Amino acid sequence: MVASAVAWERRERGGRYYTRSRRSREDGRVIREYVGTGPLAEMVARSDRTKRELEEAKREREKEELERLEALAAPVFELSEAAEILTHAHLIAAGYRRRKGEYRRARG
Amino acid sequence: MPEDNAKAKPGRTQGVLELSEETRNRLAELQVLSKKAEAGDKRARKELRARVRSSSEEVIGRASDVGRKMGQTLAHTASGGDPLTEEALYAKLDLMRAQIAGEDPTPLEVLLTERVVSLWMLTTVLEALIATQYRRVVDDPSERLSPSYVLQQSRILESATRRYLAAVRELARVRKLLAGVPAATGSSRQGARGGVPG
Repeated sequence: MVASAVAWERRERGGRYYTRSRRSREDGRVIREYVGTGPLAEMVARSDRTKRELEEAKREREKEELERLEALAAPVFELSEAAEILTHAHLIAAGYRRRKGEYRRARG
Repeated sequence: MPEDNAKAKPGRTQGVLELSEETRNRLAELQVLSKKAEAGDKRARKELRARVRSSSEEVIGRASDVGRKMGQTLAHTASGGDPLTEEALYAKLDLMRAQIAGEDPTPLEVLLTERVVSLWMLTTVLEALIATQYRRVVDDPSERLSPSYVLQQSRILESATRRYLAAVRELARVRKLLAGVPAATGSSRQGARGGVPG
């Protein structure tokens, strides 16, 4: 699990303490983890930062991919709507009425 | 799906594949008139008939032309730049057009056929792109897709599939309802083949 927020806390006796917050899977509360201090904490912090950057890059890739799919679909959907408008106009001009999605001959 | 497709920039299909402003305006006018005519406005119905007769054939032609280009662009995307695949897809689209439109189609049937063909091609491309991504995840589990992304992706595909099926139904319905309706409604078979450039 990648920490949602990370921080280095300053201690009264000096030195920095690496902490990270994450949301609990059970009840959704934010839990603060005290990881430690010194070289080990530095290593964990670096690892967390890399994970966050990778996640961010992945989110960006997915966003771009979705935009690409939407851009592929948009003109086809527009054409589809245009065809619908034209079909409807033809049927109404030919004396039909639409009722609950079904076309029937208009009276009179 | 080849890699160069996956890296294509968003929005590459726009531009020539968009309906012109003039076509959009005419469509909007037809929409307003249809609404009024449906509500019982006899003058609007008369006006709608006149518009359908005078201008809809041209609008339909333009829309059909855009639809044809769309099919080709999607085929190009699906082929990933492989000329043989691209040609095979063009041939497939032409065959579909001929089979669906049938002999001597009306302009409206041509447009509805382009709509069916474009939506078929779109769903095929989307399915291929999505399948490629899933294959990548199988090969490399670290490429796992986020649930929100998979959901969004499925929505786009579902929307395309739904429209494709609706387009097939609509064509069948139009054929049934407009069979025997005189040319006064613009469903004339004259000049049905090919689109009006623009």
